[in-house]
Formats: sequence, structure tokens, C-alpha cells
Amino acid sequence: MTRLQTLEGFYQNHIQPYYQNAHNAERDGKPIAYVASTFPVEILQAMDITPIWPENYASVCAARQVSVRLAEIAERRGYSRDLCSYARTTIGSILTTEKDILPEGGMPKPTFLVASTAACDTHLKWFQVLSHHLKRPLYLLDSPYNITGADAENLEPHYIQQYMSQLEELITFLEKQTNTKLDKNRLRKIIELSDRTSNLWLEIQDYRRTIPAPMGARDAFSAVFFMLCIPATQTAVNFYEKLRDEVKERAKNGIGKIQNERHRLIWDNLPMWFNLKFFNYLNNLGAVTVAETFSHVWTGSLDPSKPLESLAKKYLPNFANCSVERRINLILNLAKDFHANGIILPTNWGCRMMSIGETIVKEVLYEKLGVPSLILNVDSSDWRNYNEAQVKNQIETFIETLNA
Amino acid sequence: MQILQSFKNLLHRKHIIAKTWKNQNKRPVVGWNSTYTPEEIISAINALPIRILGSMDTTTTLADAYLPRNACSFARSTFDHALKGDYNYLDGFVTSNSCDNFGKTYDLWRHYTQIPYFHFINTPHTNTPKSSEFLYYELIRFKESLEKHFKTTITNKTLQTAIKTYNENRTFLKQVYNLRRKDPPLLSGVEALEIVLSSMLTTKQAHNKLLKQLLSEVTTRPDPPKPGVRLLITGSIMDTPDLLNITETVGGIAVTDDLCTGTRYFWNLVEANKDPLEAIAKRYINKIPSPFMHDSHRERFNHIKQLIKDYDVEAVIIFLLKFCDTHMFDAPLLTEELKAEGIPVLNIEYEHTRSGIAPIKTRIEAFIEMVKGVP
Repeated sequence: MTRLQTLEGFYQNHIQPYYQNAHNAERDGKPIAYVASTFPVEILQAMDITPIWPENYASVCAARQVSVRLAEIAERRGYSRDLCSYARTTIGSILTTEKDILPEGGMPKPTFLVASTAACDTHLKWFQVLSHHLKRPLYLLDSPYNITGADAENLEPHYIQQYMSQLEELITFLEKQTNTKLDKNRLRKIIELSDRTSNLWLEIQDYRRTIPAPMGARDAFSAVFFMLCIPATQTAVNFYEKLRDEVKERAKNGIGKIQNERHRLIWDNLPMWFNLKFFNYLNNLGAVTVAETFSHVWTGSLDPSKPLESLAKKYLPNFANCSVERRINLILNLAKDFHANGIILPTNWGCRMMSIGETIVKEVLYEKLGVPSLILNVDSSDWRNYNEAQVKNQIETFIETLNA
Repeated sequence: MQILQSFKNLLHRKHIIAKTWKNQNKRPVVGWNSTYTPEEIISAINALPIRILGSMDTTTTLADAYLPRNACSFARSTFDHALKGDYNYLDGFVTSNSCDNFGKTYDLWRHYTQIPYFHFINTPHTNTPKSSEFLYYELIRFKESLEKHFKTTITNKTLQTAIKTYNENRTFLKQVYNLRRKDPPLLSGVEALEIVLSSMLTTKQAHNKLLKQLLSEVTTRPDPPKPGVRLLITGSIMDTPDLLNITETVGGIAVTDDLCTGTRYFWNLVEANKDPLEAIAKRYINKIPSPFMHDSHRERFNHIKQLIKDYDVEAVIIFLLKFCDTHMFDAPLLTEELKAEGIPVLNIEYEHTRSGIAPIKTRIEAFIEMVKGVP
């Protein structure tokens, strides 16, 4: 169950330097922003603002097995154990006095925070709490909820307009915070670069349609880091080109993630970051994850000649910001295109957006494709909400029904 | 007092009353579940807007098949009632973008109930001139959608009439709340909650009549509530009097609140404007905010602090409905701020079921004793 060569030492080679650079930026007095997912990070990148993603940091803390300890610090300050575990982990990380337990020296202190409502209300409240404790301003990008689940081309015009007018406002906020002007040419270049990253990433995903699939979830959940956190960088492009070449070569030569591939699964939402070995366990059962919704929702084509409009069109249709139909269509298409015969729908204890509606997804997918789903009660970073024996029991029963 | 029984009846017989109204008037009944729903517009088509309420004394076995354990139990309870058929008489269901639990259970309502009309109002999360304009546009679309589905026309005149009736109701409710400033208050917390809840279950015209009668009779009521520790109750929704009932049997008395079935529902009026829809949009964007609004904690906490002064509040109970994220994020900060001002605060996380009530009662009792003990 070795990792792809490109992914060897991913943490040391890419995650550590990312946090090190951010700490250097803080030391040098350069602007740093905390960013919540579904926020158009490209605008920050165009202004050389270092983005720090509390979500990514929470997943790092979970992988390093300290998330629960940090979450408990937030809980002692009154933050309910039922809240998003990402939120509790990072609130704990800034409130703790034991700074030496923090992976990568903690998140550097931001100059300001930015969030959008496109994923959930939790983002807005969580960032409000961080902003309060850090005494740094928060800009909120108020995204209309895409109630019809329309794709980029069919969005309500007034949603796009509302989103774009706030991007203008955001730019003014950023210019004031950083004392620099946004260079429109640079924004266009950044948009072009982000689009290139997104296309490369999708190209990599497409090779996973091959039987046997050349890449599994364990590698995808690491590699998606660039797509999610710093899409518009040459580093991202270089990394994905290398990864693309490796995956392409494997697909060509029929080298799968596992050789005896019996089941092809779609994984919805988040993994248990504290237990990524779980995917090896699935592999041992003859199952490989061929696609994750998480690897598809951050993509979207961008047009450098219309930077703001294309950002609106990229972020408004994110499935977290949509009625359940969009999530169903996404999984349905993945299941078809990637020849999947099973779907895993992990519930995230602190996440209403992803947990509610899974039954509809399960029902409709079975009706339309005959592909069964398994709803798993887990958590992305709080292992107190994860019962391994129970989960493995459910998985094994599920795999048996797939065999039947 | 007899008139109080009328409000209680509206609450306990809500389905029968709505169905009877529908049969007698041959007009639609439209359910809503967020205080950001502009009922005025629904009322302008001569429909009866009613708030979707749950109950704490029934099991939710039907809804449990569709909702995960980590979903809001109020949303679960209302959806369970829908699956049982209790809301089969609804001609429409309207919600707004004001809560992740509501937003996602809206998908469930659409998929698993037979209600013929659904509408979602995209309520902004910021209070700016641009978001106000956006909401105005959303309300125009809502109006057009109602007109199309129910084959009717909404004119400025019908809207102005609805606004007038709604404002009248809000003004009366504020007068009712003023009666609770006295010591002991002229109405108990349970009675006040029943009055506000019942206002969402009948036409405002009918409710205004009842309120007028109440206001003229209550000052001489022979059976005023017993004095107790004066409490402000805050939280998301309180759709049944169960929690206030136990609070008021152990020496507390709720004299005011920050609830979406309390002051957050009726505190603000629609201001006069040539364009009624614009006026309505402004009212909903500027009202005492629910915590899903950006940077709303400052304004909401100030509202709470003002109420504490005006109603001579001695202590605060925060009733946190489990999985209500936006309130759970605000609670630690609110607790800290109130305690810094010397106000005792009790945080109660609860599930919307009756089974959890006994331990809550013990905690409230201990809290009341503690407050009484403070010299």
C-alpha cells in the first residue's frame, strides 16, 4: 500500500514549508489572512497576501493526533462539543497556553480574516469568534444560497451581481488593509494560473476512471492541498504536472492502487483526518476509492478576461451552497464516469450541511443507478465521535453486500 | 382569566383552527418557519400564514429515518409532524436562508411531503445598503411567485393594509410585554409565550382583537403570577411552554426574552414608505438580528442588556437547542459579557424532547437558589 512517488514525503516537502513561509511572512510583517473554504482565494493571491486556512490547520492537528486536546480547550471555554470539530480545534489552538503542542508552531497571527457564507453559517460564526479573540477584522462575503442548485451557466443573474459587487467591496477592504492597490493585470494572471491548476487536477482525476484506478483517496486527500489552499501558484502547477505524469503512466501500464480491484467506491465529504490509514484498510478489503466529492468541488474553470464574474461562477455552485439536487448530480455523475459500485456518505458530527440530506442522496442514487450507499457516523477530526469497531463492522457488511 | 385561555386554545388546537379557517374562507394556508419570512406578503393574498411548530411530547420515529442524530431536534420534530400528516392541509411552505438546519431540511420537506407550493427567500447575512437592495429584489420575486401560484394580484394597497395590521399586532405585543416590567409581572413567562406563539397561528386581525381585550382586562386580573427571580430567557426558538413551565415552578419568573418566538419576532415595525416591499425588506434586514447575521452579536447583546435594564432582570438563562450552531457560537461570549456586568447566567443545552426535562429542572432550581442567595 505504498504511496505514489510524487506523494512521498508530502507533509515534509509541502505542508511544513507552507507553514514555515507563513511564519516568515508574519516575522517580516507581510499580510496574512485567515480564509475559510469556498472563499475566492485568488483575490488574496493576486495581492500577495498569505492565505492560512484554519480548516487545513485543523486537519493537520487531527493527523498529528492533537485535535481533540485542542478541541477540549475550546469546550472548557464554553464552545459546545456538538460544534464543528474544525472550529473547536482551531479556537483551542489560539486559546491554548501550551504553544509547544501546536504542530508547525501554530497558525501565524493574521492581519485580518475573510470568510464567505457559501459553505455554511458555521464559517461565519467560527471566524467571528476567531476575529474576536485575535482582535483582527473580519470581512464576510455574503453569498446567496444557490437554491435551485444551478451550475455556473444557469445561475440567477442577481446572485452573480450580488457576489461581484461584494468582490469589489472586498478589494477595497484588502487595499485598505494592505496599503497596496490591486494590479488588474496580475489578477488576470493569477486567474489564469488557478484555471491551469484546476484543469491539471481534473486531468489527474480523469485517469482514475481507468480500471484498475491508478490513485486512491489517501493520496488524493493529501494532493488536494494545493487545489484548496494555494491554487494559483507555479508550485501547484509543477506539482500537479508531476503527479499527472505519474498517474498517466500508471494508468497506461495498468498499475492500480491495488492490483486485485474488486470494488470501486465514491467517498463523499471529508475523511477522518486522524485516521487516513482507514483507506489502506479499505484497500485490504479489495476496495479502492476512485473519486471524492472533495476532489471535485474546488474546481471550476476561470476566464482571465472576466476575473470577477468567473470567480462568482466558480464559487456560487459549490455543492455546499446548493440544494441537495446538485450534490446528487455530482455524485451520480462521478459514480457513472468512474464506474463506481458503492458510495460512502460519511456524516460529520459538527456539520449540518453535509449530514442532513444524505438519506435523499442514498435513495435517489439507488433509484437511478442501482448503486448502494453507506452512511457512516464519523467526524473529520474529533475521534471521540468515531467508533472504529462499529464503523468497520458497517463497512465489512456493506462490502459483503457489494460482493453479493 | 378567561381571555388567557383563548391564546392557549389557539396554540393547543392549532391544526383544527387552521383547517377550519381554510374551509370557511376558502383561502390558502401557508406555513413558514423562520422569523425572516415576510408574513405581510403572504397575508396580502388573503392567505393565512402560520408558523410551523413542533412538540416536545411526541416521539419522532418517522423523521428519525431521514435525519441524522446530529440534526436540530426542533427541525426534526416539525418534519416528523409533516410526515405524520399533521400539516397535510398546508397549501404552501416558505422558508428563508437563516439557518443551516432549516436550509437542509427544506430539501427533505420538498422531497417527502406533498405540499403544492414551496418558496425559499434568500435572506442576506449582512446588513448593508446592497444587501437590503438584494432582499428587496428577492421580495419582489416572492410576491410574483405567490401571485403566479395562487392566481392573484398583490397591490400596494393590500400590502399597506397588511403592514398596518402587522404593525398593530407588534405594537400590542410590546404593550403586553410592558406589563411584565411590574413586580410581580402581570403575566407569567408561560402566558406571554402562549400569547406570542398564538399570534403566529391565526390572522393578525383576530389576534389584535384578543390582544385589545387582554390589555383592557389584565390590569385588574384577580390571579396575577407569584413573584420570583426575574429572568431573561434567550435562545433560538421556544415553540412550547415546557421549559418556561418548569422554570416558573421552581421560583423563577420569565419577565422578558431574546427569542425568535419572542422579542426578535415582533420588536421592530415596518416603517412607512411609498414602496411597501422596500419598507418590508428594510424591516427584516434591520430587525433585532438572529445570530446568523454577520457581526450580529454586538447588536443582539445590546438588545439583551437593554432588556435587562428595562425589565429589572436579575439573571439570564440561555436555552441552547442542541445543534443550533449559530447560537452555540455566541453563547460563550454572551455569558462572559453578562457575567462581567455581574449578571448570573445559566447555560442549558437541551434536546427538543420531554425526556431531558427532569435534569434541567434540577439545574434551574439550583441556579435560582444561587441567585436568591446573592445578597
